[in-house]
Parts: sequence; C-alpha cells; structure tokens
Amino acid sequence: MPRLNFWTVVMILTWLMLFVLLFIPVGSVLTASFYDQQGNVTIANYLKFLSEPRFHQAFFNTLVVGFGGLFGALLLGSIMAFCVSRFVIRGGKFVSLLAILALVSPPFIGAYSWIVLFGAGGVVRGFLRDMGINMPPIYGVGGILIVFSLKFYPYVYLMVSGALSNVNRSLEEAAEGLGLTPWQRTMKISFPMVFPALTAGGLLALIQAIADFGTPRLLGRGYNVLATEAFTLYSAEVGSNMSMATTISVVLILVSMVFVMLQRYVSRRNVYHGNMINKPIRIQLKGWRNVLAHFAVYFIGLCGALPVIISVIYSFRKTSGPVFQDGFALQSYERILFGLGDVVRNSLTFSMAAVALIVIVGTVVGVLVARRTNFNTALLDGAFMVPYVMPGIVIGIAFIAAFNTGPIVLTGTATIIILSIFIRRLPYTVRTTASSLRQISPSMEEAAISLGYSPFQAFLRITVPLIVPGIIAGGMLSFVTAINELSSSLVLYVGSTMTMPVRIYLLILDGDFGVAAALSTILLLLSGCAVYIAFRFMGRNEQALL
Amino acid sequence: MSYLTVSNAMKRFGPEFMALNGVSVAVERGEFFTLLGPSGCGKTTLLRSIAGFNDLTSGDITLDGANLRIVPPHQRDIGMVFQDYAVFPHLSVFENVAFGLKPRKVPAAEIKTRVTQALDAVRLGAMADRLPAAMSGGQQQRIGLARAMVIKPRLLLMDEPLSNLDAKLRIELREEIRDIQKQVDIATIYVTHDQEEALAISDRICVMNAGRIEQVGTPPEIYGDPQTRFVAEFVGTLNTFAPGAALDAMLSQLGLSLPGATVWTARPERLGLAARGGDTGGAATLEGTIAKFTYLGREAHVQVETPAGLVVVQIANPGMTLTHQPGEQVSVLVPREALMAFGADNIRIGG
Ligand SMILES: Nc1ncnc2c1ncn2[C@@H]1O[C@H](COP(=O)(O)OP(=O)(O)OP(=O)(O)O)[C@@H](O)[C@H]1O
Ligand SMILES: [Mg+2]
Repeated sequence: MPRLNFWTVVMILTWLMLFVLLFIPVGSVLTASFYDQQGNVTIANYLKFLSEPRFHQAFFNTLVVGFGGLFGALLLGSIMAFCVSRFVIRGGKFVSLLAILALVSPPFIGAYSWIVLFGAGGVVRGFLRDMGINMPPIYGVGGILIVFSLKFYPYVYLMVSGALSNVNRSLEEAAEGLGLTPWQRTMKISFPMVFPALTAGGLLALIQAIADFGTPRLLGRGYNVLATEAFTLYSAEVGSNMSMATTISVVLILVSMVFVMLQRYVSRRNVYHGNMINKPIRIQLKGWRNVLAHFAVYFIGLCGALPVIISVIYSFRKTSGPVFQDGFALQSYERILFGLGDVVRNSLTFSMAAVALIVIVGTVVGVLVARRTNFNTALLDGAFMVPYVMPGIVIGIAFIAAFNTGPIVLTGTATIIILSIFIRRLPYTVRTTASSLRQISPSMEEAAISLGYSPFQAFLRITVPLIVPGIIAGGMLSFVTAINELSSSLVLYVGSTMTMPVRIYLLILDGDFGVAAALSTILLLLSGCAVYIAFRFMGRNEQALL
Repeated sequence: MSYLTVSNAMKRFGPEFMALNGVSVAVERGEFFTLLGPSGCGKTTLLRSIAGFNDLTSGDITLDGANLRIVPPHQRDIGMVFQDYAVFPHLSVFENVAFGLKPRKVPAAEIKTRVTQALDAVRLGAMADRLPAAMSGGQQQRIGLARAMVIKPRLLLMDEPLSNLDAKLRIELREEIRDIQKQVDIATIYVTHDQEEALAISDRICVMNAGRIEQVGTPPEIYGDPQTRFVAEFVGTLNTFAPGAALDAMLSQLGLSLPGATVWTARPERLGLAARGGDTGGAATLEGTIAKFTYLGREAHVQVETPAGLVVVQIANPGMTLTHQPGEQVSVLVPREALMAFGADNIRIGG
C-alpha cells in the first residue's frame, strides 16, 4: 500500500488549515501582546494590564457578568427544565419554542428591546411612572445581568430537561422506598444525575456571557468588560492600541480556558447514561401549585422571547426617519429593500459559503477523527477544542493581527469574514460527524465489503447515507450561528463587506430602531427556516441547537 | 488438500499479546464447521482474518487451493453474518438482501427471483418491503443470513449469530440455519461459545482456548472422547475426583491403573446412585451422603459428599417419586467406562 493515501493527505491538510487559520492567528495575538507600539519586545502591556485600575475594573466586571449571567441562567433554566419535565404544563411545546426563539434571536437586539421597554425613555417605565411608580432605568450591571440570564437560560434549560427526562424513575422510587423525603430525593438522586448537564449548560452560558460584547456595550453605560475594552482599544479612531487589545484578548482566552477546565474537572466523575426503561412521568399539579408552575414557566419563556416579539412588532411601526409614529406601515422594510439589499446579500452569501466549507471540511475531518484513531487524530480532536474558548472578538482581532501584513493579506475581504465564521463553527461539525460515525457500527461497512464492495464504495453507499441527515441538520444549525455572528465580523468588516448583524449594531447606535428591528426580523425568519429544516431532518431535537 | 486451510496462524495485538497462537484448521466442502471456546479465546479474530478484516501476523490461509491472504476482502467472495446483525437501516429488507448482487452484475430479473427465494428460505418473504429498523432481533438476524447466502459465496462465516436472541428463538433459528446450509451446500464456519448449540448444529467442532486449538472433532468425539481436560470441562460438565485413598480404592476395585494419570474424572450422567449395599452391576462404588437434590423436570442433579470430594450425579427422568433428602446415605456407582484420565499436562491418557 502506498504510504501517502487519501487519509494521510487529509490529515496533513487539516493540520495545515489549523495552522493557518487558528494557530498562526492565535500566535500572532500572543506575540503582538509582547510588543509595544514601536515594535520592541516588552512585557509592558501585561504590566499595564496589572497596574491600571481601568483594566482591573474590566476584569472584575467580566467575572461579575460572567458569574451573574451563569447564576441567572442556571436559576431560570433549571426552574423551567424542572417544571416542564416533571409537571404537566399546558403548551409545553410552545414553551420550548419560546426558549428556541431566545436562543436564535439576533444578537443584542435583546439589549435594545429592553432599553425600549425599560430604558430612560422606556415604554413600560413611562407607563409605570404615570401610575406613580418610579423605577430606575435598566442601564448598568443590573440590566446586563437580566439580559444575560434571559438570553442564556435556554442553554441550561435544554441541557437539563434532556437529562431530567432520562433519569430512571426506578431510582427515585427506590429512594422513596428507602424513606428519603422528596427534598432529600431531589438532592441525592436527581441532582447528581443532572449535574453534568447542569455544568455543561452553565459553562455555555458562562463562556457566552464572558465573550458577549454587544450587551455590555449597549446597556453598560460605562460598565466596561474585557470584550468591550478590547474592542475599544482596537477600534479607537485615534491611537488604536493593537498591542493592548491583543493583551486583553489573551487574558480573555485564559479566563475562558480556566472555566472550561473547571467544568471538566467538576463533572469528571459524573457520567451517567440514562436508560429509557422507566421514564419519569409528569405529575398533574393541583391548585395554586399548578398556577405557580405555569406562571414561572410562561414568565421565563415570554421574558426570554420578549426582545424578539418587540422587534417584530416595532419592525412594522410607522416611522418618520428614525422616529416612530403611531400606526403601522412597511416603511422599515422598504428602506431595507431600497438601501440595504447588499447587506442582506452579504450575510446570505457569507453564511452560505462558510456553511458549505464547514459541511465539507467538517465531515471529512470528522470521519478522519472517528475512523483513524491514533495519537495524531487524538491530538487533532484536542486542537479542535481551541475555537470553543475563543471569544468572537478575539478571533476577529487575531485574524487582523495575522492577515494584515505578511505573506497572506486578507483584511477587508469577504474571505476573512467567511474564514472567521468557518473556523469558529467547524469544531461543532467535526464533533457531531465524529460522534454520529461512532454510533454506526463498523460491522455495517464490513458487511458491505464482504458483499463485494470496495472499502470506499462501502463508505459511500452505507455510511454516507446514514450520516447525511445529521450533516444537513448540522449545516442548518451552523447557518443559524453564521448568519447571526456579530463580534468577529464587527472587527473584520469594511464598508463593502458589512453583514446584517453589523448593520443592526450600527443602526441601533444611530438610534434607527425601526430598520434595525426589520433587519432583525428578517434574520429571525432566516434562522427560523434553518431550524425548521434541521428539525425536519433529524426530528425535533432541541439539544442539537447548543 | 482441504477446501479451506488455515496453517499456523498467528495474530499479535500490541507488543506481545497473541490473540491467535499457532492455529491450524482445515474445512471441507459443504462442511458445517464450528469454532467453540470461551470469550476472548480468539474466535472472532480467526474469523475476521479469514474474511480479511484483519491480517494475520504470520501464517497461511488458502481457499480452494489459492492463497487468500493476498486477496483484498471485497474480492474474497466470502459471506459473513455479523453478531450485531449489521443490517443496513436505510434500505428495505429486499434491498438489503439484493445489496450484494449488484456488484456481481446479476441481471435485475434474476436479482428478483434470487432475493425472493432467499427471503422465503428465511421465512421473511412477506416483509420484503419493510424497513428493518422496527423489526425484531431474530428477523434482522435472518436478513443478515439471507443477505450473506444469496450471493452464493465460496464460504460463509457466522459470528455468534444467535447470541442476542432468546432461548426459544435460538433453538428454532439454529435448526433453520442448519437446514438452509445443507440445502445451499456452502462450507460454513460458525462461531459460538454455547456448547449445546455447537453440538446440535455442527459437522465438526473446533474447541479453542487462549489463542490455541484444543481439539477438532465431530460432536460425539468432542463430547464423548475429549482429548484435553479443557475440552472435557468446557463441553458438558465434569466431576473431578479428589486424589487420595478413596480414589485409589475405587480404581483398584475396577482394576484400573494408567501410568502418568494424575486426574480422574467422570461425567455426571455416566454415574449412578444406589442404596448402601445395593446392586452395583459391576461398577465401583463411592460411599457418600447426599448434600443437595435439585429437581429439573427432565432430569435431577444430586450432589453427593464422598471421600473423593463432592460428586454430582445426574439422574435422567426422575419422575415424581425418585427424590432424595439431604443427609441420606447412598453409594455413587462409577462404571469403568465412565472414567476419563488426564496426565499432569492435562492431556487425556488412555481413552
Ligand atoms: N483490535 C484489537 N486490539 C487489541 N486486542 C484485540 C483486538 N481484537 C481482539 N483483541 C483481543 O484478542 C483476544 C481475542 O479476541 P476475539 O474477539 O477473537 O475473542 P472471541 O473469542 O471472539 O471472544 P467473544 O466470545 O467474547 O466474542 C481478546 O483478548 C481481545 O481482547
Ligand atoms: Mg467474538
């Protein structure tokens, strides 16, 4: 057999790709953080980070919003998961849909909707003031935490409800038989069983909260976090400070990494495989308990989906310039049609290109990781963890640092945006392909070989048809993240490569909420279609959205 | 030369573990040949080497006189039935069975007749258009069987095809497999660790242990004339008499002495029970006390505490009345031809 077979080539190309798109950019960030503005090697940036109160504050604030968002998401997510999977809730499907809406809603449209309702001139706040109730505007850390809790609770909800519905009822019955009170039962039996899901969902919320840039930007009003500091330093018109921006990026990566490690550590021993033999049944609650459970579930669900609902409504309001008038009209959509067509087109083409790349490369690499198990592929699998802990803003800055000068210059092109989306989402496809392949018994292909098909033919005729639905579904879900991607595009865009989320962000900064809402509605519609197609292909599987 | 020969097969996993350690077998045309052995003894490894899914470290395999090791697996024309069925879930039952006929360029009309025949043979004719996902384990297994046989392979390999089924279905299906195999007359290697299944189904059995062959023979030879202590113990049950004065007395009663024999054994169903001082019919006796009596309907197992250790006696057809109470004094009857002797190397002596 020749040494240089197909898979060896794939392996080499994969490493090459990782080097160019991941290690070199991250390396550039790392090295750039050790240079000053004049190009001398120095650790002054880190000393500055350690000594300047402004950065201390941002670091501390990042931890506050991270953990605040985490606890908010854990609280809301587990209440909802517990109620929906243990009690009979009318319209349970609808509640799940609300959670999905919150999950796929365009970025920080949420923040803005809350400003519309509870900001300085907020609708609800004004209404309350008229009734004599004075409440503070939503700005500042409190507002950020509310928005994070409501935006990220679906991670916890979807993870935990999946785990809860797999806890074998016999276990709880056995505990009941042993004389444990309901509270003890929950803490000693159910809690350890869902603990891995809880930490996994919590980790997603935490990482997203740390990386989120739009919400603190819009709601913070001076409450700066690392992500916003990095962006400010990078984008300042005068005195853009790339080396300090990269230093903060490195800190951000480190913080995320610590939490990923921590999550792995705390849930290392808790791997339980639920079995389906004795599924838990839902209890029909009576009286005030029933009312309370329904109220909790619907309150969380509707609050989480509120921004989406608000922006859909506002997209149809009559406007005069950026100012809303009474009544409804399609003006905002007309303005998109006549002025912003290229933004929509950009978003669509970039996302589709990225998804096409993700699907092709992700599938081939997924097959490599799953089927050619050796030290090399284990290493590869590990390398694909890196994008998980890279906040979008950091990927953006890293790409600028790597591709602004040097052998490959990509800044200002569509390619750089497509590639940044590609590398961030690729690991998900690699992982899902690899795990779906691992579920297909290798004897399936061997059977085809024994029937006279060459190994390649066997792969093509047996394995591929079995994993294609999953791949299409995964591609659709990648599309959702791709088209909603803001933070790296915000760093990488130029006038001609502006995407919808970037445009929405700029519109909101300009106070033109009507068009922003209309664009958001279009984004939502596209995301909704993609989720629908995905569910058609793999069944309604909400966990796959994570 | 035999139809299929494997000579001196070695398969090493890792630096030193030998999954096959010098295995040689020869299978004749149309023969039903069974590999029997405990879990991990290398049965699957041998089967997969013949199918071509893992290559031997050393050794030769020939089929019909030609070297098989140089042929890539998909050109070997060897049908295989997998332990986990490996039925293609995205193809209908018919398409599953027809799958192997396509690369053989069989015309469409012939595909139809052959697949229909094969499905009828495994009694799945009525289910041709269904998808296998929702079918039972036994039905999926039969799809696998039909799929492997319809291509009329030169050799059929079956890796524990019945191990996932319930007891009744196993017995039904093993009869079916046996009948179909005789009908299509394809040399078959069948893997199992169930000794009863092996005895029921095989022309010849190859008993394996730890990567080596213990004995090859027909079912009566394997059961009735085991050549090693491993075979005697693995196939059927075995009483081993504790060495000592009681055993020596028993042997001298029968006038038996075999130089080099260190272990004396007998199968429970070859022993008898009699009241103390009753008629022995020429058999030697061991005086003992009944420790336990287990009634199993068709037979009963009686554990007797004797000076030569705990001895199990199997009584056929115990009926309603033939029961024994623990503590009862009895004689165990040991006929001369029931005894099997093994040397210090666990190889059979005499016999
Ligand atoms: N790919 C492999 N790598 C390392 N060891 C292996 C591999 N395949 C099999 N083995 C080892 O070789 C030995 C024989 O395995 P094999 O699968 O042939 O056993 P078997 O007789 O079929 O057992 P069972 O009845 O459980 O199926 C086992 O100890 C097994 O652990
Ligand atoms: Mg096996």
